[in-house]
Amino acid sequence: MGEIPTREIRPGLHWIQECGPERFDLANSTPGLDGSWYRNRAPLHLPQNAYLLRAEKTLLFDTLSPAAGGWVVDVVDEVLDGAPLDYLVISHPDVPHAGNTGRLLRAHPEAKLVAPRFGETHALYHLDGALKVGPGDAIDLGGLEARFHEATFLDHSMHMWMSESTTGSLFTVDWLGFPHMAGECLHFTHELDSAVSPARLVEFHGRVMFWFQYADVERMVEAIDRVWDDFHPKVIASGHGLPIVDGVRSYFDHMKEVVRYVRENGRTGVV
Amino acid sequence: MREVAPGIEWIHECFPLSSGRHEHVSVYLVRGPEGTIAIDSGSFLHREAIRTRIERAVGEDGLSAVILSHTDYPHSGNVPEFLRRWGDVEIVASCSDAEIQGLPYARRSRIDEPLEVCGRTFQFLDPPLADRSHTTWIHDLEAGVVFAADGFGNYHVPGECDLTSPELEGGIREGDLRRFHEENLAWLRYADPPVLRRALDRMVEGRRIEWICPIHGNPIHAGDLSTYLEMLGAAVEAIHRDAGSPRLGL
Repeated sequence: MGEIPTREIRPGLHWIQECGPERFDLANSTPGLDGSWYRNRAPLHLPQNAYLLRAEKTLLFDTLSPAAGGWVVDVVDEVLDGAPLDYLVISHPDVPHAGNTGRLLRAHPEAKLVAPRFGETHALYHLDGALKVGPGDAIDLGGLEARFHEATFLDHSMHMWMSESTTGSLFTVDWLGFPHMAGECLHFTHELDSAVSPARLVEFHGRVMFWFQYADVERMVEAIDRVWDDFHPKVIASGHGLPIVDGVRSYFDHMKEVVRYVRENGRTGVV
Repeated sequence: MREVAPGIEWIHECFPLSSGRHEHVSVYLVRGPEGTIAIDSGSFLHREAIRTRIERAVGEDGLSAVILSHTDYPHSGNVPEFLRRWGDVEIVASCSDAEIQGLPYARRSRIDEPLEVCGRTFQFLDPPLADRSHTTWIHDLEAGVVFAADGFGNYHVPGECDLTSPELEGGIREGDLRRFHEENLAWLRYADPPVLRRALDRMVEGRRIEWICPIHGNPIHAGDLSTYLEMLGAAVEAIHRDAGSPRLGL
């Protein structure tokens, strides 16, 4: 492969981005919202992200999709820089998140597999031997600390979010994703010329969080506020967007608008 | 394995739960004029049993196609095995990024569009009850059967594994229906019950439905559908009420 698709977000917090195929069907599907974020008929990417926490110990959160199977081990090894992989954490057993679990465990047999403790059908996902974690559980990496939480907004029920205390990062998996244009790869949101507006966020959530169309909006707004109150995150590291390291609070307000829009207008498509 | 409707066979594998209940992880076979089609492929946990049952059903003709409702592992886990065993099996899947879902060879099905597979026509429905966004329900127009993926599920007790809704004494139990949905469609805690109910009613209205065949429940005969929908509506109301202010474990 060419350029290594990684970037250090904060000391020890490394982002690995799989942009996926170029698409042109992830824009202009939000009538009534300002869709000016999309420019020049640019190819769009809907990424998969994995995050490698590297301190005295190391932890990889999610594994990218099978389409990254040809390079994900090399990139993880590049970031590990000779260190062992101590923990491989799966946010939920969805193919684009867990699709390289076996490949990474074969390359790093020293790694301890970690999975959400929710539910009891782990054996259906090859996760019966995993260390099962959830709210109240943490892994001390010696300089960084991963803590595990219920996924507030989710698809599959065996699903968890993670936070890292030192950097103030919240890993929101399928929430706060959005497409980016070619040329925006490996950027943080505040570095973009084109805003991550409610319209851009609807392009993702109107497809992936299809159930927003049936949502009790007030309950959702309460839950969004609760996430903010409980975490006050300084960094949002989602599974399908660019990291948000500046102005995080405004995105929570955007997401209220996203829920209202999808509830009123229905889903915007399929991923 | 048993026949549910003419040309529709049900491979009813189960996963035992700690409550003593079972959860179905089923596969269905549809006999088309040009070959046999599997609806979903089941879990790798049941690989040998499923392969053996399909071998008996298809004989030397082999399995011709698999239509996946979505790529969740208990639904798609045996696709590699089917390809190894029967070679030229057509895979039909609903995801728009097939490579990302690990199915670069799949033919795409699209919501609200018909597709002919092995000479039989299927319509692909946008499911109100699902976990993954690319899920479709699969409507076999000839038999009037909707294969409902993660929708219309229920837990059951041992001894009920191969029964359809009219054969269950007292029918499908509301508690088993509610627990299935509460535990498997976690987003229902945020659902507005009347809005979801209207979507479900719209889904069944005007369609010829003889059976609804879930992957995780007992097949529901058309005569029991209104009762099921009433219980489902009550279950969603109860989930919404009891979730109250959604929990957030820190």
